[in-house]
Amino acid sequence: MDKLKNHVKELLESGEIAGFLGLIDDGGHPVPYLFTKEHLDRLDAMVVPDFRYPMTDILLRIVRKYPEETIGVMVRGCDDRALVELAKNQRIFPELVRPVGIACTKEMAEACRCSQPYPREIHYGEKVEGVNDRSDLAAVESKPLDERLDYWMGQFSKCIKCYGCRNICSMCFCDQCTLEDETLIMTGQSPPEIPIFHLIRAFHMAGRCIDCGLCEEACPAHIPLRSLYRKVREDMADYFGYVTGMDESEKDPLEFLGSEGYEVPSKIDET
Amino acid sequence: MTNSVPELEDADCILITGSNTTSSHPLIASRIMKAKEKGAKVIVIDPRRTHIASLADIHVKQNLGSDVAWINGLMHIILKEGWQNQSFIDERTEGFEEVKKAVEGYTPEKVEEITGIPKETLREIAEIYAKSGASSIVYCMGITQHITGTDNVKSLANLAMLTGQIGRPSTGVNPLRGQNNVQGSTDMAAIPNKYPGYQDVTNEEIRKKFEKAWGGPLSPNVGLTVVEMINAIEEGKLKGLYILGENPLVSDPDSTHVEKALEDVEFLVVQDIFLTETAKKADVVLPGASFAEKDGTYTGTDRRFQKIRKAIEPLGEAKPDWEILCMVGKAMGSKGFDFPSPKEVFDELAELTPIYHGADYDRIEKEVIHWPCKDKDDPGSPYLHKDGFARGKGLFTPIEFKPPAELPDEEYPFQLTTGRLPFHYHTGTMTRVSPSLTHEVNEAYIELHPEDAKALDVKSGGRVRVSSRRGSIEVRVLVTTGINKGVAFIPFHFAEAAANRLTNAAALDPIAKIPEYKVCAIKIEKIDGREA
Amino acid sequence: MEYQTVRTTCTYCGTGCGVLLEVLDGEVVGTLPQKDHPINEGKLCIKGWSAHEFIYADGRLTKPLIRKDGKLVEASWEEAVGLVAKKLLELKEKHGPDSLGCFSSAKCTNEENYLLQKIFRAVIGTNNVDHCARL
Repeated sequence: MDKLKNHVKELLESGEIAGFLGLIDDGGHPVPYLFTKEHLDRLDAMVVPDFRYPMTDILLRIVRKYPEETIGVMVRGCDDRALVELAKNQRIFPELVRPVGIACTKEMAEACRCSQPYPREIHYGEKVEGVNDRSDLAAVESKPLDERLDYWMGQFSKCIKCYGCRNICSMCFCDQCTLEDETLIMTGQSPPEIPIFHLIRAFHMAGRCIDCGLCEEACPAHIPLRSLYRKVREDMADYFGYVTGMDESEKDPLEFLGSEGYEVPSKIDET
Repeated sequence: MTNSVPELEDADCILITGSNTTSSHPLIASRIMKAKEKGAKVIVIDPRRTHIASLADIHVKQNLGSDVAWINGLMHIILKEGWQNQSFIDERTEGFEEVKKAVEGYTPEKVEEITGIPKETLREIAEIYAKSGASSIVYCMGITQHITGTDNVKSLANLAMLTGQIGRPSTGVNPLRGQNNVQGSTDMAAIPNKYPGYQDVTNEEIRKKFEKAWGGPLSPNVGLTVVEMINAIEEGKLKGLYILGENPLVSDPDSTHVEKALEDVEFLVVQDIFLTETAKKADVVLPGASFAEKDGTYTGTDRRFQKIRKAIEPLGEAKPDWEILCMVGKAMGSKGFDFPSPKEVFDELAELTPIYHGADYDRIEKEVIHWPCKDKDDPGSPYLHKDGFARGKGLFTPIEFKPPAELPDEEYPFQLTTGRLPFHYHTGTMTRVSPSLTHEVNEAYIELHPEDAKALDVKSGGRVRVSSRRGSIEVRVLVTTGINKGVAFIPFHFAEAAANRLTNAAALDPIAKIPEYKVCAIKIEKIDGREA
Repeated sequence: MEYQTVRTTCTYCGTGCGVLLEVLDGEVVGTLPQKDHPINEGKLCIKGWSAHEFIYADGRLTKPLIRKDGKLVEASWEEAVGLVAKKLLELKEKHGPDSLGCFSSAKCTNEENYLLQKIFRAVIGTNNVDHCARL
C-alpha cells in the first residue's frame, strides 16, 4: 500500500498529473476522491477496498470540465477495459489519463466471475488468473425458447425504472439516451415497457459492454442484467471476432456496418 | 417499523397492504423482491394492481375502506382452524377473549360481501400468514388515511399477536414512513401531545423534567393538530402560524379551506427552500437550506439514526434551518438556543429523550443504531418487543368494521383514492424541478376502469372534470384494469390539479386525527375537445 | 481542481438510503449510491439518483422576504428574524400562548424539529405543535 501511495505521490508532486481519482476512507467507508498536490497528506487515508465505484464514469465528469489536464485514476481490470473503450470512442485522450493499476484478489475475481481481473499495468496487488464461467448463460440457454422468453419477461417485469444500470455504466456516455426517447419507450411507466426498455439497452451494449457487472450490482430489482449483456458480448466475439476493452486500435465493427470498403473481421459468413 | 428493513429479506411471508412499495419505498420493495427470490410468499391486499401487486404470489383488491373486515376475517379463519399461536397469546398478551368474540361474526361469507375478497383467497392468505415461520406485515398510508386508521393498525397488531408473528426477526408490523424524517420529527415531538421521546405533555412528573431542562413553565394542555389548527384559524382562535418546510396548501385535505385559513391568519411565517404555494401566502419567508447544505440527523423508517452532511455552502444568503431557528429563539429573548452546531443540539435532545439517550454523533458515525438505545453500552434495537411489549403484555383490542365517512351516491357515484408515483414526491416541490423526473411524468391523471371509461365515453388521454362536494379539478384519463369498477385513483403531486381539492378533510380518525384521504365520493364528467 | 464525494442520506422517502453527493469545485454535480450502506447496498431508485437535481433549481429562496404593502420584498436577516420574534411575542401577549402554533417538518432534521418545538413549548408556552406525519 505504501508503494502505491508513494507512486501516486510522485505523480502528483512531479506535476505529471493534476489529480488522482482514487478512494479515500471516510469514517470507515471508502468513497471516491480526487487526490491533489495541495492536499498530499490525504493520501494517508487512501484505500483499496474489495468493492467498486464507477471510477471511469466519475473520471468523465472531471475530464469534461478539465479537458486539457492529465488525470490519474485507480483502475482494476474492468476499469482499464473501460478506458480502452472510452479512448476508442474519443471520450478521453489516452495520453491525458494515467491509469494506476490494481490487480483484483482471487476472492474478488471469483465473486465477479471476471475473465480478466487485472489491468494492463499493475501497481498494486498480485495478478491472478481470470475466471471463465459462463454457467449463468448456459442455464438460460438450456431453457426452451418460450421458457426463456418467460424467464426474461419475469425478470424485466421487476424493473422499477431507476436507470441505475445506465447511470452507473462507464460505457453510457452518450449525450442523448435512447432510453429517454419517448417515441421508443413510453415515459412515466414503472415497470417501463418490457422487454423493449431492456432490449434497447442490451443492443446498445453490443460492442460497448466491458463486462464489469456494476449494472447488476446497482439493480434494485435484482435483474441478472450482466448475463444479458454478456450474451451480447459473446455474440460480438462469435460473429465478429471482436472483444471490447482489449485493444485501443481495434474498432467496433458495428460502427462500420454498411460502410463501403469495410471488411467484417471474422466469421460472420460462417454462421 | 417493529423490525428493520434488511430483515424483510429473510421473511417467509410478507403481507403488504395499503403500500405501493415499488413506487413509494423502492429500496424496501427491493428487499421484498429478494425475499421472494429466496422463497417467501408475497401477498398484496390493495385496491389497485400496483407494481408490487403485479409481482406478488397473491393480490386481491379489497373495497375501499373495508380493511377491518378482512383483517377480522383472517383472524376468524385462523381461530376456526386452530392456526393461532396459543402459547404466545397465553404468555405475552391479554384481551384475547374479547377479540375472539369480536371476530366470531366475521365469517368468510360476510367478509366477502363487505370487502369483495373471495372467501377461498381469504382462507389461503390466512393459512400462509399464520403458518409461515416468519411473517411480516408491511403497511403504509393506504391503511392509516381512513377514519378507521387507528382501528386498521390495531387490527393488524391483533393479527400479528394472534399468530405470534411479532417480536422475532423478520416478523412484525411495519409501517413505512413516507418522508425522510417522519420518524424523527415524530420522535422529536412535532406532535401536540408529547415531549421528545413520546413522553406525555399531560404527565406532571415529565413536564417538570422538561420545565427544569428548558428553564420555564410549560403548558399542561394537549395542543392542536395540523387540521385542527387550520380550523382554529377560521374560528378566530389561532392568530399566528409558523410553518417549517411544509406545503399544506397542496398536501392537506380540502385545499380551498386551507388556502382561506392561510390568507386569514394574522401572522404567517414560512421557512422553506422554495417559494411554495404556501410560502406565497406568508408575511415573512425565511430561506432555509437543502439537505446538501447542512449537517444533522434523520431517523429512518426502521428507527435507524442517519447523518446528513454538508456538501456545499447554502445558496445565496440562505441558512441551515437549525441556525435560523436558533436565531429566532435568541431574538425572542431565550437563552436555550446557543448552539455552535447540530451536534450540541443532538446532545441536548438525547439527554431528554430516553429512547435516544445512548446515541451521539460519534456512535452514529461508526455504528448502525436503531432506537430504543438507552445508554452508551446499548447496541440499539433492530426489532422491538423481543421479550415483551412496551406496556408489558400485548393488548388485543376488539374492533368492529365501520364504513368510510363518505360513500358514493347518485350525485357522486365514484370512489376516489389517492397516492404517489415512483417519479415524484409529495407536493412535488423538489421533484417537479428535477429534469430526470419531470421527463417521466409532469401531469396529473385519473385511473379509471375500462367499463367506467366506456360509460363516460372517454379514452386514455382524454380529459375529464372530477368533482367532489369540496372542489373540482381537470385531469387526463388513464384507462386500466388495475383498478376496480367504480373506483378512481389520482396521484397527489400536482398542485395545478391537486387531488386534495377533492379529498374529505372533515372526516378524521377520532384518535389519530388523520384525514380520510384514501376514500371520498366523486363525480366524473367528460370534457369535450373544444372545451378542453 | 477539487472533487470529493460527501456521504449523506437521501432526502426523499423514509427508507433512508445512503448516497454520495459528488462535489466538483464546490458544485454538486451528481448522486451515487453508497455501496457499503446497510439499507440500499449500492442501489437507488430514480428519485435517489436525481436527488441533487433540485438543489440549484430556479426559484430557490436565497434571501429573507417580508410582506410590505401586500407584496413579498427582500429583507435582511436581522429585519426578518426581528419581525418574526416581535410579532410572535406580541400575539402571545395579546391573545395568549395558545393563539400560536407551528407545523414542523418531516423533511427537516431531528435537531431542527427539536428546536422548533422547543421555541413553541418553552418560549411561547403552547403545545400547538404538529407536522404532516398524517398526510
